[in-house]
Amino acid sequence: MLEKMLNTKFAQWLDERTHVVQYVRFHLLDYPTPKNLNYWYAFGSIALVVLIIQVLSGVFLAMDYKPAAVPTGNGFSMAFDSIERIMREVNDGWLIRYMHAVGASAFFFVIYLHMARGMYYGSYKKPREFLWIMGVMILVIMQATVFFGYLLPWGQMSYWGATVITNIFGAIPGIGDWLLQLVRGGYGVGDPTLNRFFALHFLFPFILIAFVFWHVMALHVVHSNNPEGIEPSKKGIIPFHPYYTVKDLFGIGVFLIVYSWFVFFDPTGHGLIIETNNFNPADPLKTPPDITPVWYLTPWYEILRSVPNKLLGIVGMAFAYVCLFLMPWLDRSPVRSARYRPVYRTMLLVFFASIGVLGYCGHHEVTPELLLIGRIASLVYFAFFALLPFVHKFEKNRPLPEDI
Amino acid sequence: MKTWTMVMILLGWLAGSGAAMAGEGMPPLKPVQLSMDQKTLQHGAQVFTEVCMGCHSLRYVTWKHLMDYPEIGMTREQVDEMRGDAPLTAPIKTGLSEADARESYGVVPPDLTLIARAREGGGAYIYSLLLGFEHDPEGKVPDGNYNLYFPGHRIAMADPLGWLDHDEDEEQELKEQARAVASFLAYVGEPHQLERKALGRKVLIFLVVLTLIFWLLKREVWRDVH
Ligand code: HEC
Ligand code: HEM
Repeated sequence: MLEKMLNTKFAQWLDERTHVVQYVRFHLLDYPTPKNLNYWYAFGSIALVVLIIQVLSGVFLAMDYKPAAVPTGNGFSMAFDSIERIMREVNDGWLIRYMHAVGASAFFFVIYLHMARGMYYGSYKKPREFLWIMGVMILVIMQATVFFGYLLPWGQMSYWGATVITNIFGAIPGIGDWLLQLVRGGYGVGDPTLNRFFALHFLFPFILIAFVFWHVMALHVVHSNNPEGIEPSKKGIIPFHPYYTVKDLFGIGVFLIVYSWFVFFDPTGHGLIIETNNFNPADPLKTPPDITPVWYLTPWYEILRSVPNKLLGIVGMAFAYVCLFLMPWLDRSPVRSARYRPVYRTMLLVFFASIGVLGYCGHHEVTPELLLIGRIASLVYFAFFALLPFVHKFEKNRPLPEDI
Repeated sequence: MKTWTMVMILLGWLAGSGAAMAGEGMPPLKPVQLSMDQKTLQHGAQVFTEVCMGCHSLRYVTWKHLMDYPEIGMTREQVDEMRGDAPLTAPIKTGLSEADARESYGVVPPDLTLIARAREGGGAYIYSLLLGFEHDPEGKVPDGNYNLYFPGHRIAMADPLGWLDHDEDEEQELKEQARAVASFLAYVGEPHQLERKALGRKVLIFLVVLTLIFWLLKREVWRDVH
């Protein structure tokens, strides 16, 4: 059927003028892929699906949302009221809102696994450095996007989360005050902050899309790595369609089942997806006892928090991203896949665990013990990158296979 | 293997200390079975308008909603009796002004539309709170303001159901009132929750079938790849 469509007179006419058929063939149908890609390789396609879900649900939410902190009585605001109107009065508004809120968490879940896969199979290495860098940029843009988005309901956690995080900018010497006011649009977090965050929350996904586009373009130049981390021979290559179209469709199906389970049966994720305290309207006079970001930001937040000095904390957090960025050059081993790198494999698993521990600590109120654990985990995080340039010197690789 | 053992031990310890922290200083909530049937929800609406509305509003719930939400399904006559001369499409609002509330209680009583969603424990918390009025064991907090379940134990709301010093034969009735109003508040916190679950079951069945088809398709297509 697809073949027929691509051979119609109209398709041919269009192709002569804009090469669409050639693009479809090159990027979707004939695109050469190693035959041994496992289901970890479905997360890229799944991420694309989530991106589409977020953009569509977001546009519909924006039609009924009002970015105004104007008080409407008893501590409520126009913004908060508009969200509740979506939940209660707008047809299927609750569904759209839950799709968007659960989608945000799902997006990070998928992206973190996608990245972990890349790290495990050494996909960041030559010639895929640029692909990897685009990925890290995507992660940063995603985190900025959710940060802006989380302010919009103007609940307690929205307000206080934004206050705490923007405060961080204020700690930068020299430009801190200026930057703080620029971000907030005033001295405190208020109506101007909400307005600009809404504008930015609408804008950023389009920047994200541009980067995703470049990410995929880069992929289609250097092609997929594979779990063995070696260059496949001709025999190991199959066309993307129909093999990976159906394999990815199955992966997407499984993802949608899990996603829908949350949307319909646990949309707040027991306070992990939508925090319980965010059902209270923002109250600038009442500081919540524990102000913590949503789970997907907590590891980075914990790195920031575990440094005693605020400014150094910012440096530390920025450095956490810089390390990811530099990974292709920090790792000097010629072998890609962790399957054949016993030392790197162990280091990587400890690194993943450190991120889990950081996330756990960042999600809870600081106590002396948690602070200590958070600090140890931060050190483990950075130790991983610090050791990376030296591992190949003493690591004995397992013998690589001839072909995939 | 060793790494995993270490990681597991660390995570176990973390989970343990986390759980210990979460329960600090607060007794566990009273067990309660909330229900979303018409009888309970109507009873809850009644208790709300007769007792709680003296101080609290439901800013997102109109009188008309009590008829329109199928799970509550009150009749026009029932609603007319409750609303007095408030317009049918107006939100259920207390007569207590914010200024008067501040003068009498020191705080403005919170709007209760979302209270079940805004508190850990939801409906069970409301139920426990209403039945949590006791005499302060230290005798510092005046009677009617000491509550076992309120953070800090001193609450500005004075025992609305009259749980403190109730008679033996009132107990069952008061518990039922608390259960009904807790159910009602849990319902109005998210009026589409039953519809959500019903739709969810259909969507999941559809997706499972679809995914199964994809799986069969995948198996078929990949048969010749080795
Ligand atoms: C006499 C006025 C009054 C009546 C009647 C009343 N309340 Fe309250 N309520 C208050 C005040 C005042 C507060 C604020 C308490 C505080 O912050 O210390 C409050 C707070 C609450 C809270 C929030 C507690 C928290 O965790 O912050 C709930 C839940 C609540 N009331 C439920 C009810 C229910 C249900 C009824 C009806 C059975 C009711 N109230 C009747 C005055 C009242
Ligand atoms: C919106 C977010 C993203 C989308 C839509 C996306 C999409 C994709 C797609 C479709 C692929 C090919 C299929 C696959 O290998 O899974 C891919 C590959 C890849 N992506 Fe992403 N990606 C995103 C974010 C990221 C991030 C944050 C990183 C890392 C920081 C990253 C790193 C990689 C790498 C290294 C590959 C190649 C993997 C290999 O060949 O082994 N991506 N991406």
